Amino acid sequence: MTNMGQKGSFQSLPQGCELIGDLKISEVMTRNVLAVPRNTTIREAQSIMKENSITGVPVVDSRVVVGIVSMNDIMNALESGRMDDPVTDWMTFEVQALAEEMPLSFAISAFSKYPFRRFPVVNKRNELAGIITFRNINLALIRELSRQLQEKNNLNEHSVDMSSLELVKEYLLSRYDFENGGKASSEIKKFLKGHGIPSRLIRRVAIASYELEINLVAHSDGGMLGFDINADRVVITSHDHGPGIADVDQALTEGFSTANEWIRSLGFGAGIGLPNIKRVSDEFIIQSTLGLGTMIRAVINIHTKDQHNN
Amino acid sequence: MKLIRIAEALETRIAYGPAAWEQINIKSIFSSDLMSDILMSDLDNMLIVTSLSTEQSIRSTGMVNSEAVVITNNKAVTDGMVVLAEELEIALFCVKFPTYETCVRLGRIMKT
Repeated sequence: MTNMGQKGSFQSLPQGCELIGDLKISEVMTRNVLAVPRNTTIREAQSIMKENSITGVPVVDSRVVVGIVSMNDIMNALESGRMDDPVTDWMTFEVQALAEEMPLSFAISAFSKYPFRRFPVVNKRNELAGIITFRNINLALIRELSRQLQEKNNLNEHSVDMSSLELVKEYLLSRYDFENGGKASSEIKKFLKGHGIPSRLIRRVAIASYELEINLVAHSDGGMLGFDINADRVVITSHDHGPGIADVDQALTEGFSTANEWIRSLGFGAGIGLPNIKRVSDEFIIQSTLGLGTMIRAVINIHTKDQHNN
Repeated sequence: MKLIRIAEALETRIAYGPAAWEQINIKSIFSSDLMSDILMSDLDNMLIVTSLSTEQSIRSTGMVNSEAVVITNNKAVTDGMVVLAEELEIALFCVKFPTYETCVRLGRIMKT
């Protein structure tokens, strides 16, 4: 007999429930749940549990939960030498199932109220939809805690000591060194994140910097990527040793590219790198001389409001 | 949608999963083999779907603040990609399906 969870049964909520807010059981449970039909033998159930490293399995009749077999039930059958009995002879009939639409706090209460280590979860048609264990709840709590901490950090972003936000750094990049292309941008991203800069702003800096980095390794004979960061703005400069761009206006047109097949096979060279840097920057300057090299300066303001959401 | 649901629907092999990856919230899917396209996107909480199995796929995922990337076409990932995914705290999944079928499956679960 399946005894569905009732709201009234789980009124006293333990600590930690405020963390999980509006999460529903369906968002946290394991969906790919193993279940066995009524005519399964205890021996077969034991084998399934062993193979899948689980300690209990629901018994279903046309997807409706009719019982649950645990390690205890199997040990009892083993002691009596009746391993070939159907699971229905040994399983627990009084199954406390939870509904998938219930708030997660109900599942937490259920674990405090009952001695069970797992609860089957059913849908509106009373069919087995998943299973929930302590592990599912722990993972949900960790993620939620981390999300709430992130939100708190975002709220405090502008109260962070901006005077400590100062960095001048240069990175040398070699032609075709795709292995290292991106390291500088990742470092700068980490630095800005550590100083509580809003994530949308960091994304703009990271994109401008990464596109410049990829340009240096993919198109130039090698060069330097420089960062000058203070509380007001991030200045990124790229200088290379050549070969220079023949027509800068053309290079700034979306879709124009001189990339070879190899660069394209690496996912770059679509001709949208330079326009993308311009898109995310508040100031963008490019100077190039054929045979000498290219200089690009991209500025992203920190002090003003993030106006480049699009 | 929680990442665990996506992992189940795509029968993924998990090359790397950061702490509590199951609960990562995905709001949009972006599929491309061109990293330049990914860098042009402006969506939040993206799942990146690509058949490009390179370290730059992981880097590009990180640059757009995305927390998860799916490599399609039954492609293997390199040790370097796994190390980078770990460093950037990005969930790295591999699926046996081609990109098209991966997207169709994702479309189906997003409707429900």
